[in-house]
Amino acid sequence: MSAGIIGSAQVAGRTILNEVESKNLLAAAGVPVVAAQIATTRDEAVAAARAAGFPAVMKVLSDDLPHKSDVGGVRLGLADEAAVAAAYDAMMAGIRAAAPHARIDGVSIQRQAQPGVEVIIGMTTDPQFGPVLMVGLGGVLVEVLKDVAFRIVPVSARDAGEMVRELRGLPLLQGYRGAPAADLGALEAIVQSLSRFAQDNPEVREIDLNPVFAYPNGAVAVDARVVVAAKETAA
Amino acid sequence: MTVSQERLARALNPRTVAVVGDKGASGYMWLRNQSTFRGKVYSVQVDPREIPGIEALGITNYTSLTEIPDEIDWVICAVPRQVAPRVMADAAAKGVAGVGMFTSGFAETGEELGRQLQDAIVEIARNAGIALVGPNCMGLYNPGAGVRFSAEQVTGEGGRIGVISQSGTHAINTSLLTAANGMLLSTAVSIGNAVILDVPDYLEYFGNDPRTEIIAMYVEGVKEGRRFREVLARVAQRKPVVIWKGGQTDAGARATMSHTASLASAMHIWQALARQVNAIMVDNLDELVDVLQLLLRAKPGGGRRAALMAQTGGQSVSITDAFAKAGLEIPQLTEDSYQQLAGFFNIIGGSYQNPFDMAGTVNQNPDLLDRIFGIIDADPNIDAIVMEMSALFAARRWVANPDLFEDLLNRLQAHQARSSKPFATILHPGHLEAEIAGLRPKIQARGIAVLPSFDRGARAMARVSAYHRARAAG
Repeated sequence: MSAGIIGSAQVAGRTILNEVESKNLLAAAGVPVVAAQIATTRDEAVAAARAAGFPAVMKVLSDDLPHKSDVGGVRLGLADEAAVAAAYDAMMAGIRAAAPHARIDGVSIQRQAQPGVEVIIGMTTDPQFGPVLMVGLGGVLVEVLKDVAFRIVPVSARDAGEMVRELRGLPLLQGYRGAPAADLGALEAIVQSLSRFAQDNPEVREIDLNPVFAYPNGAVAVDARVVVAAKETAA
Repeated sequence: MTVSQERLARALNPRTVAVVGDKGASGYMWLRNQSTFRGKVYSVQVDPREIPGIEALGITNYTSLTEIPDEIDWVICAVPRQVAPRVMADAAAKGVAGVGMFTSGFAETGEELGRQLQDAIVEIARNAGIALVGPNCMGLYNPGAGVRFSAEQVTGEGGRIGVISQSGTHAINTSLLTAANGMLLSTAVSIGNAVILDVPDYLEYFGNDPRTEIIAMYVEGVKEGRRFREVLARVAQRKPVVIWKGGQTDAGARATMSHTASLASAMHIWQALARQVNAIMVDNLDELVDVLQLLLRAKPGGGRRAALMAQTGGQSVSITDAFAKAGLEIPQLTEDSYQQLAGFFNIIGGSYQNPFDMAGTVNQNPDLLDRIFGIIDADPNIDAIVMEMSALFAARRWVANPDLFEDLLNRLQAHQARSSKPFATILHPGHLEAEIAGLRPKIQARGIAVLPSFDRGARAMARVSAYHRARAAG
């Protein structure tokens, strides 16, 4: 599975896997994800949303648009088939106007997840120490707050527990102002799955699971991006 | 051929030393530095203008390493870079154990010639299994053997701290500042370009060296990160390793495509490493020396709960602020302790809640200090004890009455010997820096840690207690 998705991307000269590829890869590695389907026409989008359930989320798939929400490439809360069909037409027209040269591979369709505490879990490759994992408070403010903890792969169960607990924002995960406490064990399990995945797949260079929604029971990656080595340097 | 640890040990603990290429222009710095060497020193110099000056030092000169009629353990090479391959070839023919190559101008210049010359010496050293230290380094300081790379370095007795440094300057500074705080090194190695032996090899050496109990390193980066981590993890289980990481702010200038990669600074990665292997990270030389003092002098203990003994009310507030900010706790004592203290504590102008404001009590009757120590030491709520030595009011009195000061030191030393809890003093200069400079070594000579400010004391205490805590957790 992983060799297939990574290998085909590399053969095609791509280093950034799209959301659907990334999620399929990570789901196979044991990471809970909100499943996403590719759709390349309005009818496919409607069918995919019907299969996934409502409300649906639609996101543009394009290597040329890393910040997809800036160009109107993300639509949330699509309540029914008509809303999905209308959103598809509006998104395509809007992006062609905002970014006329961007190559569009389609859209991803998924059921909108219940909101949870937003966490980022990721992996990058340090030139000296190899793969390292990160846990942080996620969402759009991650690079501003920089509330993150790192460990070098392999990451033990104890390391994973420490990573989550050394976040300054830990109280947000422990039931801040009457909210139910988040399932820290589920976050630690994702960290450990990523650690194994990074060890088994040296050609993977970077991963962002952002956001991961942490719930009282479980956690799920709502968006995912995997970056692999270019083919020449693939291990 | 890789360098065996036995060969490295022979090189770093030499019985004979040869200095190649020392010059009058540098005042024969390398030969003079070895005037404290316990074994025999030889010189190799081919320039006839330099030889009389060498012989005037009472040192026999030869024109090649191979001519020396003795086994050579350690070679200090200070020749121009073009000559370095020739010296390495002679060292190989001679069968020396190791070479410390001060010569620079190799790969660090980025020039093609420098790279070629470096490749040449690496090939010779590798084929012969020579323990090549450097090049572009200060080499070896072994105080017990009397080998130095700075004339200011003390020799005679060897100590218990091993030092690895990627910077020659920091190797010198570390050796001088530890000595100024009464701490002796077993060995310091300035490793330069580390072309044959690198940080993991030296870590392995210090891990095995029976005289080295604590390892300190200045490191900017490592070439074989995974091997470094593996060796560090293994050595750090047996001996405390303190890492001063230089270049903490180098934000990876590479293009990244994820939030994770853009957030992964060198500082984050090294701190992660330190957590995973239980090494102690410090930010600068001052912190390094503070942490070394606690590791060397204070009893080991991982508890966060400190009893703080200050000399006045204002200082008892300040010391509490500093220790609380560093993540330590300043808890109440037990009811039993309070009842004992109430029996003798001079309430007027004093306080014994924790922090203690105790000058008013102890100045009237020094015996009471022993009783306070005894009560705190026995208190199950307390893990560590820190005492302010108030230079502000007492330094002149201590200087004027040395017996009074010696009596105080006797009491502190007796407490530390009796107690199983970490103990440290804080002697801050106030306005009497000269007096403090005379008093500090006397406290340290009793084996007691002396930290120079509340903040530095608190930070070092927090780091060392976290180390012991993680160690106890396994």
